[in-house]
Amino acid sequence: VSARVLVVEDNPLNLKLVRDVLQVAGYEVLEARSGEEGLEVARAAVPDLVLMDLQLPGIDGVEALHRLRGDPAVADVPVVAVTAFAMAEDRARAYAEGFDGYLAKPISVRSLPTQVAGFLRGERDG
Amino acid sequence: MDPQLEVTSATAERLQRTLDDVTEQFAATNEVLTALGRSASDPDAVLGTIVETARRLCRSKAAQVYLIDGDHFTLAASVGFGEDMRRHLAEHPIRVDRETLVGRAASDRSVQTAVDVLSDPGYGRRDIQELAGYRTAVAAPLLLDDDVVGALSLLRPTVDPFDRAALTLLETFAAQAAVVVRHVHLLRALEDRGVELARRVEQLEALSEVGAAVSSSLVLDEVLSTILMNAVRFAGCDGGSVMEYVEAERRFSVRTAYGTGRELLDRLRALWIDLDGTTVGRAAREGRPVAIPDLDAVDRDPHLQELRADGWRSVLVVPVVRDTQIIGALVVRRRSVGDFPAETVDFLAAFAGQSALAVLNARLFRELEVKTAELEVVSRHKSEFLASMSHELRTPLNAVIGFSEVLLERYFGELNERQEEYLRDILGSGQHLLELLGEILDLSKVEAGRMEPEYTVFPAVEALEHGLTMVRERAAAHGIALTLDVDPALGLVRSDELRLKQVVVNLLSNAVKFTPRGGHVDVRARRLGPELQVTVSDDGPGIPVEDRERIFEAFQQGGRGAPKEEGTGLGLTLCRRIVALLGGRIWLESQVGVGSTFCIAVPDTSSATAAPTTSAPAAGRAGTAGTAGTASGTASGTAGPRSAGAVPDGAPAAGRRPGGPRPVVVLVDDDRASLDLLAAYLDGQGTRVVAARDGAGALAAIRREVPDAVVLDIRLPDMDGWEVLERLRADPVTRSVPVVVASIVEERAPGSALGVTEHLVKPVARDDLLRALHRVGALPDGVSGPASGAGR
Repeated sequence: VSARVLVVEDNPLNLKLVRDVLQVAGYEVLEARSGEEGLEVARAAVPDLVLMDLQLPGIDGVEALHRLRGDPAVADVPVVAVTAFAMAEDRARAYAEGFDGYLAKPISVRSLPTQVAGFLRGERDG
Repeated sequence: MDPQLEVTSATAERLQRTLDDVTEQFAATNEVLTALGRSASDPDAVLGTIVETARRLCRSKAAQVYLIDGDHFTLAASVGFGEDMRRHLAEHPIRVDRETLVGRAASDRSVQTAVDVLSDPGYGRRDIQELAGYRTAVAAPLLLDDDVVGALSLLRPTVDPFDRAALTLLETFAAQAAVVVRHVHLLRALEDRGVELARRVEQLEALSEVGAAVSSSLVLDEVLSTILMNAVRFAGCDGGSVMEYVEAERRFSVRTAYGTGRELLDRLRALWIDLDGTTVGRAAREGRPVAIPDLDAVDRDPHLQELRADGWRSVLVVPVVRDTQIIGALVVRRRSVGDFPAETVDFLAAFAGQSALAVLNARLFRELEVKTAELEVVSRHKSEFLASMSHELRTPLNAVIGFSEVLLERYFGELNERQEEYLRDILGSGQHLLELLGEILDLSKVEAGRMEPEYTVFPAVEALEHGLTMVRERAAAHGIALTLDVDPALGLVRSDELRLKQVVVNLLSNAVKFTPRGGHVDVRARRLGPELQVTVSDDGPGIPVEDRERIFEAFQQGGRGAPKEEGTGLGLTLCRRIVALLGGRIWLESQVGVGSTFCIAVPDTSSATAAPTTSAPAAGRAGTAGTAGTASGTASGTAGPRSAGAVPDGAPAAGRRPGGPRPVVVLVDDDRASLDLLAAYLDGQGTRVVAARDGAGALAAIRREVPDAVVLDIRLPDMDGWEVLERLRADPVTRSVPVVVASIVEERAPGSALGVTEHLVKPVARDDLLRALHRVGALPDGVSGPASGAGR
């Protein structure tokens, strides 16, 4: 049974790219274009991993994370922060907020499947 | 003989003699006048010329100019007196009384004569007469306006009265000497004013420097008022104004006035004084003063009309010009009719020159202000634009790169050769653009002063290996051999690892880019004194001398490499900025046809550089050592004092502690006993202590060590501790060094503004010191309550 990954990303092209790459790699991919939608999808079909963009319309990635953590049904799902600013400070902030991992944009098509596999095993850095 | 003829002959002879006399006198007067022209530079020489000429023309043995100094005279110029006589006069000065001819001339304001001083009953200075041996004496007063300032005296050794012509000449020379004295007075006053004006201009400049130029227009008015007031006084006038030329409107406007009633000033300010058709305009256009001795005798323009209506009778307009640029005009006026002497006009020209300078300075400052404000706005907009552009451009670029990669990875099937080639072009261009974007953003960060180094301790060799990894693939594709040669003694360095890597990658990718197939790129690193030195050498085409500076400028590419060669043109600019930010330098050695070597030298900001003895803790849920190090570095880079709270739970209290060098604490106190005590407290804590006894020493030590903590006394001999703190915070290298303030009184107010979280009140107790150092992260866990635990 393949793992189920929820991708929360507002940019349709990025979303499509991540979805296609993960699907080719054999993952089941769920999509959401906002934090609210992400919460909805996560509650409806509890994923094994969430890739959460930090900059989202409406509630941002951090707020979405906190709401996931506040819901016992999905509180244990690992959530990886995805951010466009590949700076050490963003990484530190992501961990301080309680994310389980950190992925810097631009994502590497070649590495993404391996990185996701690592996150599913509980590793922090993709 | 015809008596008529005889008479005629005698008359002719007399006439000839008179003519000779007149010619001689004319020549002499001319000489004096010429000398007068030089009086500005050397008044004594002019007085010397006057006494010499007077002695010769009046056929006397000696001639003297005396100046009144209180109740006596001093000898200002003399001919015919020996040194003994001068000394005698200095010791026994002539008094302003009736004992001497000089004294009488001064007292009576008229020429005084004594056919024989020995038979003059009132003559009281036989001492002088005996020394100088004269019999006939005359003296004329030096009159300046209504004041007597001195006297000119002539002496003959025998009883030989001066004729009327000689007395007239004497008076003339006395008048000339008075002019010299007036010059001297005026010059002195002018010099005084000059000094004061220079001071004002300095103030003006100083003001602009501290950005308080808002008030510079007020200062300008003050300067102009001072100039005007003095101009009016020196010219013996009753009032005046300074006008500024408004170039855009080709007219003058009244800037400041003196001796002018409120109503007239208002009317003058309301006037449109055109460059054409006005007296002021004419003076400015012709670049020379215009004097109107009687306003009733001329056609009056509206400006002159206003003045006349207000009761003014004569006007002098002096243009204020600089080179050929019209700046304004200086106008002085009198309530009486009369000429303006050439001398007055000259002096006013000097005042006008000073006004020009003041106005020009003020204009420069005004421009500077406006420009600075504009630049600030532009710079802010630029930063905002770049930040948003960066995000907006990256997102679609990431899609371009990602989808090209998906296809190149054959996720969706095989590609033909042409498709693969084009996809590689798309991918390469996308990556190039992304790189360029990053560099633009970094450059703008550096330029805006928003890039702050984040110092950590790391093995130099790892940073260099990272650089090689980044270009290895590309080098292999071009058949270029890469080598790394690191001095084994290099060990750990303290710098900004991320930025250092960025520079090395940049230099390496440049080298690989410009080295032909089959070439070599060598990286070497070693320690040179307190610096880490890295060189990247290639055996590419080399860089001509004329390009060696240019390639460090934005969007320039060296002549090495084909013009179409890909390159952002920002890489080296950014390298230079980053290296400078890290306190180092970058330079280039190159030989055309042989190769290029780029060298960087950056300070290793830690002084303790022992090689690591233990390996970093194993990776785990709690975070790797690298993560912890980064986290604490981040906290220090952004939030001021480091706090252990920024490190994820479970990570070591300070990232560099395990296996890293000993913590360094700089102790600052002017009292040796206090220093010794603090150092003793830290004994056995595993810290290295550096002591400083004044502010300058403290700053030097802290900049050198970039310590884990500073214990800072507030009362220091050269500057107070707050100033030390301010300077530390202003320096990106020392900005985030934690500071524990130790003072006799509790002075928290300025400290909290400077990011001080720990205050100790002297005398400092050992436990308090250790706790404070622990709280700022300078001492590891386990020493917070060590009063008894840690041995000495």
